[in-house]
Amino acid sequence: MKKILIFAIVAALIAPAVFANGGSDKADDGITIAFCFQDLETEFWVAGHSAITNTLEAQGIKVIEKNANEDANRQLEQVKDVIVQGVDGVIIIPQDGESAVTIAKECNSAGVPIGVFNRPPADKSADALVVVANNEAIAEQAVEYIAQEAMKLGRKVTPAIMVGDLGDPNAVGRRKGFYNVIDKYPDLWTGAPIEIPTKWDSNTALANLQSAMQANPDIDFLFTSSDFLYPVIKSVLAPLGKWQKIGDDSHILLAGLDGDKTACSLQKDGYVDATGVQDVYAEAQMLLDAMLAAIEKGEKTPNEWLYDDGFALTQANMGEREMDMWGCKILAGE
Amino acid sequence: MSKVDQLNTGRVGNVKILGRKILLSEFFVLYLTVFYLLVLFPFIPRVFSPYNIKNVLSNTWPLLVIAIGQTFVLITAGIDLSQTSVMALSSIFGAVIMTSEADPALLSKSPLWGIMLSDKGGLFAGTSAALPVGLLVMMAIGIMIGLINGFSVAKLRMPPFIVTLVSQMFFAAVAIWLSKSENIRHLPESFSRLGRGNFGPIPIALIIAVIIAVSAHLLMSRTLYGRRLYATGINPRAARISGVPTTKIIIAAYALSGFCAAVGGILYSARLEQGRPTLGNTLLLDIIGANVIGGISLAGGKGKVLWTVFGVVFFIFLSNTLNLLNLKFFVIDIVKGLVILLAAILDVVRSQLALRYSGGKV
Repeated sequence: MKKILIFAIVAALIAPAVFANGGSDKADDGITIAFCFQDLETEFWVAGHSAITNTLEAQGIKVIEKNANEDANRQLEQVKDVIVQGVDGVIIIPQDGESAVTIAKECNSAGVPIGVFNRPPADKSADALVVVANNEAIAEQAVEYIAQEAMKLGRKVTPAIMVGDLGDPNAVGRRKGFYNVIDKYPDLWTGAPIEIPTKWDSNTALANLQSAMQANPDIDFLFTSSDFLYPVIKSVLAPLGKWQKIGDDSHILLAGLDGDKTACSLQKDGYVDATGVQDVYAEAQMLLDAMLAAIEKGEKTPNEWLYDDGFALTQANMGEREMDMWGCKILAGE
Repeated sequence: MSKVDQLNTGRVGNVKILGRKILLSEFFVLYLTVFYLLVLFPFIPRVFSPYNIKNVLSNTWPLLVIAIGQTFVLITAGIDLSQTSVMALSSIFGAVIMTSEADPALLSKSPLWGIMLSDKGGLFAGTSAALPVGLLVMMAIGIMIGLINGFSVAKLRMPPFIVTLVSQMFFAAVAIWLSKSENIRHLPESFSRLGRGNFGPIPIALIIAVIIAVSAHLLMSRTLYGRRLYATGINPRAARISGVPTTKIIIAAYALSGFCAAVGGILYSARLEQGRPTLGNTLLLDIIGANVIGGISLAGGKGKVLWTVFGVVFFIFLSNTLNLLNLKFFVIDIVKGLVILLAAILDVVRSQLALRYSGGKV
C-alpha cells in the first residue's frame, strides 16, 4: 500500500513535467521584469544595478531581483524560476558571454524577451536585446592619449596591460583597442606589451601584477582593462615607489576603462592620465527603452544590439568633459 | 475517568502514535515535502504549474545523480568533498575532446593547446566518435579521482575529510590551469541533448538519473557488495574481522562517487552547452545537504537510495520555492543552511526514538 502511495505521489509530480509543452503562467497585472545579475563586485555593476532598478521602479514596473553569486548554473536556474513567475521580460548581467547565450536561448524558447546588459553573448545564435559599449574604440581613445604623452618623454616606453577575463567579449574588445594603438606606433615601445591576466578578480590581479613588476621593473605604462583594479595597482606600485603623480620622474603612465568614481578621483588627483568611459546610465536607459518597447509591441524574442560609443576622459579634456563621466557625477554627489 | 475522558485520551494516544509512525517512517521526508508544498501552495500557486514542475525536475536529475554517489561514501562513514572538482575536470576534458572549434585568443595558452586542442577543435572534433569518447573520458576521470581518494582513505588510512578536501582543491586548480579559466564551447548537439533533450516525451536526463538510481538501489539492497558496504559503515573493524574486504569496499564506494559526479558533470555541462572549469564550485552544500535531509547518516551505516531521492526532491523544491518567493540570495542560503542543520538534528532525534521504541534493539 505504501509503495503504491509513493508511486502515485511521484507519478503525480512527474506527469505534468513530461507532458507539459513549456511556457509560463502569467498571473499578475502590470509589467514585471526580472533582473538577474551575476554579482555586484565593481562600482560599474553597482551603478548599472541602481540605474536599472531605480528607472524601472520609477515607472511603476515591478522588479524581481536575483543574484547568482557568480555561478552560471545558478543563474540559469534563477532565470527558469522567474519565467515560471510569468515575468514580462528578463534583464541579465551574465557571468560570461558563453552562459549569456545559453540563458538567452532558454528565454527564447519560453517566449520571454531578454535583455543583456553590458556583457554581451559570445555569439549571436540567440535572440536578445544587447547593450554593449564599443570597448575597442573606447580603449583605443584612452591608449592613444597615452601614446601621445609617451612621445613627449623622448624615450621608449615599456607597456603592460591588465587583461580581463577573455571569455568576456568586453575584455577582448579592450585588449584589441589597446593593441591597435601599440601596433600603430611600433617604435615607441621597448618591446611587446607585458600581459597581466586578472580574470576580473582582484586577488588574481594582485598576484599577477606583483609578479609582472618583479620580472619587469621597467614597466612605465600600465593599462587596466577595468577601473575597479586601481586599488590593486596602488597597493603594488606604492611600495615600489612608483605610485606617483603626473610630472614625477617615477610616474607610470596609467589608463583604464569604465569611468568609475575611483578613476575620477585618481585622475583629478593627477595619478591617472586617461580613462575610457562607458556611459552606464545611458546604457541602462537604452536597454530599458528597447525592452519596454518590445513588451509594448508584444514581441517575444526581440533581437537588437545597441552600442554605447563612449569617449576618453584625459588630463587634456578634464575641464570640459569631467561631468560626462558617470563616476565623476557620483563623486560630485549627483 | 468518564467514557468521554477515556475517548479523548484514546484519541490523543492515537495522534501520538500516528505522529511517531510518520516521524520514524522511512518516507518521512516525502511526507514532509508534500506537507511543505501544500502549506506553500496558497502563497505560490505556480509551484504546481506544469512549467515549474518541469523546471524543478530538470534541476533534480543532475543533482540526484551526484548525490547518489555521495550516498555510497556517506554509508562508509566517509565524505567526498571532491565531487565538485570531478565535475569541473571531467567537464573540461570532455569539452576538449568534443569541441568543434577553439578560439586561439582564449585557449592558445592552455597546456593542452597543440596536443589535444587546436583552432580546429578537439581531438575528435566533428567525428562520430566525439560523443562516446568524450563521455567515456569524462566518466573515466571521475572513477580515477575516486580511486585515488578511496586508496588514500582505505589503504593509507587518511581522514576522508582531508583527502577529499585536498583533491577538491587540487583537481579544481588543474581544471582551471588546463583551460586557463576559459569555458569551452561548440560542443556537439548530440551532447547538449543529454542535458536538454527528450527521448519521446521523456527527458534524457531523467532516463539517465533513473538508470543510475535503480542500479545504485539494486547494488545496495540486493548484492553482497551492498551488505558489505553497510557492514563497513556500521563498524569497519567488526566487518574486517568478519571477513569483509573493507579496503576494497571503501575504494569502490569512492570510485562510484567519482563516477556519479562525472555523470552529473555531463548533465550540467550539457545543459550549459559548455565545458566549465568552475562547474559545480558552489554545489557542495546542495549535494551533502540533500543527503542529510534525506536521512543519510553522516556517522555511516545508514542510508538508502530512496532516501537520497526524497532528500534531493525536497532540497530542489526548497530552493525553487524560496526563489519563487523572491527572497534575497543570502536569505535563501541562510534558510538552506538552517534546514540542513535541522535535518541533521532530526536525524539524531529519530535515531534515538527508533532505539527507544525498538527496546534498544538496533
